[in-house]
Amino acid sequence: MNKKTLQRFLSLVRANSSLVILLLVALPISLLSPDFLTGNNLLTVALQTSMIAIAAIGMTFTLITGGVDLSVGSVAALTGALAAGLATKSGLGTYPAILVALSAAALVGAFNGALIAWGRIPPFVATLASMAAARGLTLVYTEGRPISGLDKLFTFWSSDFHGIPIPLFVLIFVAIVAYIILHRSIFGNYVFAVGGNEETSRLAGISPIKIKFGVYIISALCAGLTGLLLTARLWSAQPNSGTGLELDAIASSVLGGASLMGGAGSVTGAIIGTFIIGVLTNGLNLLEVPSYNQQVIKGMMFIIAVLLDYLLKSRLKKS
Amino acid sequence: MTTSVAQPSSAPFTLSIFLKRFGLLLVYALLALGLTLLSDRFLTGSNQINIVRQATISGIVAIGMTLVILTAGIDLSVGSILALSAVVAADLVKQGVPALLGFLIAIAIGAVMGMINGVMITRGKIPPFIATLGMLTVGRGLTLMYTQGKPFTGLPESFRFIGISSIGPVPMPIVVAGLLFIVMTLLLSRTRFGEYVYLIGDNPVAARLAGINVNRMIVYVYMISGMCAALAGIILVARLDSAQPVIGVGYEFNAIAAVVVGGTSFSGGEGTLLGTLFGTLLIETLGNGLNLLNVSPLWEQVVKGTVIALALLFYNAINRSTK
Repeated sequence: MNKKTLQRFLSLVRANSSLVILLLVALPISLLSPDFLTGNNLLTVALQTSMIAIAAIGMTFTLITGGVDLSVGSVAALTGALAAGLATKSGLGTYPAILVALSAAALVGAFNGALIAWGRIPPFVATLASMAAARGLTLVYTEGRPISGLDKLFTFWSSDFHGIPIPLFVLIFVAIVAYIILHRSIFGNYVFAVGGNEETSRLAGISPIKIKFGVYIISALCAGLTGLLLTARLWSAQPNSGTGLELDAIASSVLGGASLMGGAGSVTGAIIGTFIIGVLTNGLNLLEVPSYNQQVIKGMMFIIAVLLDYLLKSRLKKS
Repeated sequence: MTTSVAQPSSAPFTLSIFLKRFGLLLVYALLALGLTLLSDRFLTGSNQINIVRQATISGIVAIGMTLVILTAGIDLSVGSILALSAVVAADLVKQGVPALLGFLIAIAIGAVMGMINGVMITRGKIPPFIATLGMLTVGRGLTLMYTQGKPFTGLPESFRFIGISSIGPVPMPIVVAGLLFIVMTLLLSRTRFGEYVYLIGDNPVAARLAGINVNRMIVYVYMISGMCAALAGIILVARLDSAQPVIGVGYEFNAIAAVVVGGTSFSGGEGTLLGTLFGTLLIETLGNGLNLLNVSPLWEQVVKGTVIALALLFYNAINRSTK
């Protein structure tokens, strides 16, 4: 009887290991700092985290297929720069400019997909190449200078609605759409199938080429949205914005239970993973840990969390 | 069996095998020829030495990275290891520690950080990407903590000689990188260690069954990568006379690019240091050429990315046709 409840508890922990880690991070912070659990502070965390979470959701799609997308930071910068440039210089209007910029992001995603699916280049290297190329194109387009002078239609996306940051609404919208695609559609089933075992999925009549194409376009579109929100928030497109976003997004997805080997990952996991990092960063700031030391702590926490997740899953499976 | 690069000599000599062996050299020759025609400054001795000297830093990092990738791993932490070890060495030497001892300490730091990577990967069963990503963050953070964000400058001559002196017409960094290249090539091609590295990348299960201590070998490989990064850091700081806390940011990607352009397979077990050498020179020559042709430096990354993608497409096309 007692053993049964324990086992049920353990399996609950196993199924929600990333949520457990989030609680393990948040609990000491809320005890140590009275400012942590205030509405204002949590909204700040939500604002900072929601932009990265969108990129992390896209990254999760590629990780599930056993791939990775290193180009998200550059795609975010390119999308932001194109949107800002077209909106301010070409007279295209803000929303058409955003649409054109997002199409450009999708194009980079399709390019990644083509290199990986048709060219059979390992995803790491293919997206490394497009990471360099897209960053280069951003530098060429912006001539290395920030583009400012955005209108209200653009900066609206970084404002708030009755105190709740708009990027959080965007994240919720993206999360719902991504959830339906990944967990409730045939395409989503195929994404998991390709990541679980590509050969089997091919024998089952799934075209891995199409699926891979799809996930890299999704990842690029998510990265593009992140780039647009970053641009809106800074009121300008910075040529080097989004640098390192790929590593944040990968770390978030992995903390959320995605595996680099493919076959595992979820939309909610990606969001929880991003919040683990966001809450940790916020907590270290509230506790006035010097920023240089923060990086060391964050790096170690990342490794510990991955180890913990692995132990939670493997040990509990045995019991 | 050990080196899948080596084709049996009895195999029929076809165009695709020729391209597989000499394709990179061919591309390099074409690029050099084109640049010679386009710019009369390209083929001068001083410019060629300049290219090679530029290439030494990323080349040394890429040597260690080649070993790591041969075992089907990856080391994202090289830029941070480079920074931490170089910054500590620069600080110690400035405070009066003999330069040679400073160098040894830097290389020891690189070895220890590499060892931690290796242990995380083999004992902790953390994928190399994740383990070295963690080390990337921790190493950079430690560098920032150590320097408090400020650069160390004004290093003594005894430290700087490894970056700025020369033996005859050959700059010291090239001598050091050249020696390292020869030693590591011999290590990979003439010793049991090298044999094991290829075997582990090719088939880790078989390697384990053959009685090889795979875990220990992998730790060694990451230690070598860390030590190479530290050496590159020393040379870089000696040349610049300044140890910035942000040196080496992004070097992991440059090194990986050089290794894969050099034909080392990402799935492990296939590749050579000679390939990495040409990969590094190719990327460096491209940058130099764009410079000589007065192309805006903003275009450099676009060209670099395109070249990496094209090189990989090229290898895959050849590999498919030889199979």
